[in-house]
Amino acid sequence: MPFLAYIDPGSGSMLLQVLLAGALAIPFFFRRVISDGWHRLRGSRDEPAQVEGGEDASTDR
Amino acid sequence: MDPGSFRDPSGLVYRRGEVLYRQIQQAGAADWKAYLDSGLHAKLVADRLIVEHEDASIEEALLPGAVAVIRPRRIDPISYPYEWSFSQLRDAALLTLELQSRALDTGMRLKDASAYNIQFDAGRPILIDTLSFEAAPATEPWPAYRQFCEHFLAPLALIAHRDARCGLMLRDFIDGIPLELAARLLPGRTRLNMGLLAHLHLHARAQRRSANDPPPTDGAPPPVRRVSETGQRALLDSLRRTVAGLRWKPDSHWSGYATSTSYSEAATASKGRIVREMLDAVAGRRAWDLGANTGVYSAMAADAGYRVVAWDQDAASVEAHWLRVRDGASPAILPLVGDLSNPSPALGWALEERSSFLDRDEPDVILALALVHHLAIGNNVPLDRVASLFGRLAPQAIVEFVPKEDPMTRRLLAARPDIFGGYTLDGFRSAFETTHRIVREAPIDDSPRTLFLLARR
Repeated sequence: MPFLAYIDPGSGSMLLQVLLAGALAIPFFFRRVISDGWHRLRGSRDEPAQVEGGEDASTDR
Repeated sequence: MDPGSFRDPSGLVYRRGEVLYRQIQQAGAADWKAYLDSGLHAKLVADRLIVEHEDASIEEALLPGAVAVIRPRRIDPISYPYEWSFSQLRDAALLTLELQSRALDTGMRLKDASAYNIQFDAGRPILIDTLSFEAAPATEPWPAYRQFCEHFLAPLALIAHRDARCGLMLRDFIDGIPLELAARLLPGRTRLNMGLLAHLHLHARAQRRSANDPPPTDGAPPPVRRVSETGQRALLDSLRRTVAGLRWKPDSHWSGYATSTSYSEAATASKGRIVREMLDAVAGRRAWDLGANTGVYSAMAADAGYRVVAWDQDAASVEAHWLRVRDGASPAILPLVGDLSNPSPALGWALEERSSFLDRDEPDVILALALVHHLAIGNNVPLDRVASLFGRLAPQAIVEFVPKEDPMTRRLLAARPDIFGGYTLDGFRSAFETTHRIVREAPIDDSPRTLFLLARR
């Protein structure tokens, strides 16, 4: 389903975003695994350090 | 209808008297319902990240086609990104990313990332556009990515890595600074910053390339692009780190001004006492402190019960002032960058989208302390013109006259001939005579200066 935004998202911006999201996902994923592990070790896994809101990475497709 | 609310077809903003309304149109109905049903609105209101509203009757709609009408709380005063200091713009940027992050948690997203959607309320940034959210799967790229980079990242990077005055470029580019321009103005070393390399330099190049693409064939669907949800969050995280990593170290003689004036202790105490008495005599609700510096007298006005806008032309002073306000010094104060000799103009479509400095809601009183000599001598503005501008701004004014024998005025005259024959205490009185009535005139102890409480005729 193509989406239509009321602001111009810019075709170059959209393409770059797809590439960056792909490249950034890998280090981001591992950082989160490490951070979650650290919090689990310290018994405070309710408070993930990132701003992303604690969504479980395993739901990713 | 608010002349700044025509772009988004999902709703519009209008005012009736002092009451602000937002009408939701059919085009925004599904997203509005999804936003309320998702619980996102309730959470954002609870954390004071979005302005709260009351439901209004559909009868109160301005135009046909309304599916709902709300009364959002009015934020006063409205300010614009070109009036914010570095940290204000950065705080607004971080709030925007936080909002998008929380929206993703509930199956929504921010459909735009306009800096004009953020305002400052009680010492904190807050989203004022209640219609900014739409339902969308997290696997679609963020359509507001480009707008975020142009409205926030580019000006912040330019201020941090080039010059604070680059913030004023937002006056010319009201839809954000074009990325290829920012990329050209930024020093080459910013390419070594991974975030700025990706979101600014590569972004500018990607835009340039796509501008050369042939137009899509008629009727062909736009390309379908997908990201993973982790990728979506990784991009957001990278933007947040990039923005949070930007630093600006102000270098200005004004922000140290309050501690390096010519006042004796007795004079400072006397000035403070008289200003406070005058503020109490006015007994208004809203004050503008013009030339507020880092806000000694703004704090006094806040203490006297005023909501204060503290204008200063020096970004470093405003930055220092904002950091103190944000740290809880006084939520009643909003520091803003503004130069009285060339204040914010009306901007945008038909010059109506962003209102000028003179068209904001009128304060009850202005404070112009240690300011008039800068205008009259530093800027060659005749005193009667100063009086007439003060009269346009507010019904009452607390004004300090700094005569030529004062060391600060002598400093302004040090390197130039004195062409200011009328700049005397009598000249001041007669210049203000036509526009104002002198309510009180009080010499400051142990100082050649005089304070006036003036009421507009």
